[in-house]
Amino acid sequence: MKRYDCLRAIAPHFGDELVVTNLGAVRHEWQALRPHHGNYHLQNLGLTSSMALGLALALPHRKVVAFDGDGSLLLNLGSLATIANQHPKNLVHVVFDNECYESSRGAPTATAGQADLAAIARGCGIANVLAARTLDEFEKGFMRAFRSDDLYFIHAKVEEGAGDVPAAALDSQENKYLFVRYIEKSENIKILTSTLSRAGATR
Amino acid sequence: MQREVAAEIVDSLKEAGVDFVATLTEANLHDLVIALGEDSSIHHVPVTREEEGIGICAGAYLGGKRPAMVMMNAGFLLSTNALATVCIHPGIPVLMLIGHSGGVGEENAGHATVGALTEPVLQAMHIVYEKVGRFEEIRPTIRDSQVLARSSRRPTAIVLNKQALR
Repeated sequence: MKRYDCLRAIAPHFGDELVVTNLGAVRHEWQALRPHHGNYHLQNLGLTSSMALGLALALPHRKVVAFDGDGSLLLNLGSLATIANQHPKNLVHVVFDNECYESSRGAPTATAGQADLAAIARGCGIANVLAARTLDEFEKGFMRAFRSDDLYFIHAKVEEGAGDVPAAALDSQENKYLFVRYIEKSENIKILTSTLSRAGATR
Repeated sequence: MQREVAAEIVDSLKEAGVDFVATLTEANLHDLVIALGEDSSIHHVPVTREEEGIGICAGAYLGGKRPAMVMMNAGFLLSTNALATVCIHPGIPVLMLIGHSGGVGEENAGHATVGALTEPVLQAMHIVYEKVGRFEEIRPTIRDSQVLARSSRRPTAIVLNKQALR
């Protein structure tokens, strides 16, 4: 099972859901499959799950999906404990575990050894933990989580390798503005402050 | 930290519009963390590691919350990469309340190096900060630091020194 095939299987089901992607090829793959202003491509290894948690807590009526990786989550295992305790019912945390630092030339991660991220998630107190080793298992498991009203952790064991997609023109500042403007419009709220205009002030 | 100081900080945060706080406690921050947990108008997320809190606050901001992070200076030093990549690079504000151990009056020798590094690292990261030690400084400093964080779309910091933490 390859990560790109997993993403390709589920992308057509997305509407206005919010997505946070991990650093690495997954961001380019997802942007190619589902170009949308509701994608936030994090420029940091480790905090994908935490960004998604903050977003899910801020907008409890919107579904939030995190596409995380094993190298990233291993940097931030404590986030699983926090996610379990906060228990956002609108969060689906997907970890594509290729057992290596793929974007850094492929040295093995701890999951190539003894570490089991699904067991760690269960141990942190997340009740809905799904493990997938085939594309069919992944698609069925993801759609169950996606359509449910509860917190899910999906551990997808994937082969190394990225999808054949063009590099997305991802600029962090542009991505932030597009994402925030999309949230402002779709939620009818104001996030960015405006500088006061003195044009009409009495001289 | 005395309970009236903790109550003043919580009330000042609310007055400044803060509605979401991530915390990692320490003996000097205990009363503040407990008070934040008891306040129903602020969503409180106790975290396991400070940089995790920076990520959570940044995500909450993208979803329309007005976040703050409460931690000690050791946690701030731990969070420097998160602040650089998640907040400063894309332009996401987070108000930080940083308890300052290792400053003047510190009796624990182990805190001295962290104390000496705190302000130079804030300066190196171009994070605007104010030092607070007196009760009457708490409210205006929280208000003004939050105004700057939101207008500049950058993290700002309030360094709470020993007098404030007592």
